Amino acid sequence: MKVLCTAMLIFVSSLSAAGQNPSYQQDPQWIAPAAASGKPNPLTNKPETAAGGRKLFLRNCAECHGPNGVGMEKKHSADLQLPVVQQQSDGALFWKITNGNASKGMPSFSRLPELQRWQLILFLRTLKATGPAAADPAK
Amino acid sequence: MRANGFQFVLLAFSLAIPCAAQESPFVVTYTHHMEEPGNLEFETSSTVGIPRSGQRFYAAPYMELEYGVTTQWTSELYLESSSVWGDSTVFTGWRFENRYKPLRREHWINPVLYLEYESVNEASRIQKEIEGGGPDLICSNRELRGEHAHELETKLILSSDFHDWNISENFIATKNLSESEGVEFGYAFGVSRPLARLASGSNCRFCSENFIAGIEMYGGLGSTLDGFTPRGTAHYIAPVVSWAVSDNATLRLSTGFGLTDQSNPVLLRVGYSYELAGFGSRISRLFGAKR
Repeated sequence: MKVLCTAMLIFVSSLSAAGQNPSYQQDPQWIAPAAASGKPNPLTNKPETAAGGRKLFLRNCAECHGPNGVGMEKKHSADLQLPVVQQQSDGALFWKITNGNASKGMPSFSRLPELQRWQLILFLRTLKATGPAAADPAK
Repeated sequence: MRANGFQFVLLAFSLAIPCAAQESPFVVTYTHHMEEPGNLEFETSSTVGIPRSGQRFYAAPYMELEYGVTTQWTSELYLESSSVWGDSTVFTGWRFENRYKPLRREHWINPVLYLEYESVNEASRIQKEIEGGGPDLICSNRELRGEHAHELETKLILSSDFHDWNISENFIATKNLSESEGVEFGYAFGVSRPLARLASGSNCRFCSENFIAGIEMYGGLGSTLDGFTPRGTAHYIAPVVSWAVSDNATLRLSTGFGLTDQSNPVLLRVGYSYELAGFGSRISRLFGAKR
């Protein structure tokens, strides 16, 4: 019985490490309105706040998108490093974080203060700039 | 047997991975923010009533299991009890609630529909909501526990996020299916705001970004049988605060001040919640579901 439980513990723990989603395709129905897409990030001139964004990302987003933001195939979550994500404007990403995509299981994060949502976007941009290493919690 | 129980607890906690545990500070008022899909939240709370003359001191501990079924649907199970000073401690029943958010996106006002079935006795004092005249604060548990009630409770939850403020209003209607008490009405209203707008880069626990403060007001509005009698029912105004103790856990505190003779002068509430992320999918995989 002890062996069985230990095996189950190892199995369950390993599940959280599984998967990424390079084949992610954007939901064509999930498009930010033009007015929202045009909103500038008020923290653009405060790049140091991206560190707080990384912490928020690990707390709120890593569960589905992984700690490096590469997504998880089993959860159909976006690989945030892909151009299809990174080419979107800050305003569009802000709108998507705020509203979520209920039909695809992405919850709304409107409960986070607005500036914290913008911090998340600053951090998402670092994923594009330096790849997975930027999000490595060990660094 | 004890070893197996311990291993089960270990297994359950191994399912937990860090997730956002910062919760609304409200104890009574519901917002439109739903539990994240697949997450399970345990909460243990207690309502403590400081008595007026003629009333009895009591504590009403209860436990909640909240599960995010989908992004728009959250279910919750309550188990509750009541302990009255100089009287007794009794199990007062259970409740099963469902909340459904019909709109998929954020709007100025976000409605949520709430339906709850309650199998409780009249000794229930947790006061997760107050409807009609509020609970009986004078009679003993022995007298009240024999009066069992099957109730259906509905709420219309309206909630708005305006910049960093949350403003929520709940309108409550409850029908006791066991007795003819008419339909009882109640309300709850709350406003809250995080203490900090920006997150720091460090993993601090006492910094202001981990706190949300607010105020809520709730009470009964009478019933179709007794009429609209807000002056003859319990009403409270309560400053509230929540503290994200860790990535998974939140502590909630509320001190309610009674506004009428039917209220306790002070109603203290404390709750501790712990969130297990991805609980549903991991459990389903344990039983053979495909990835």
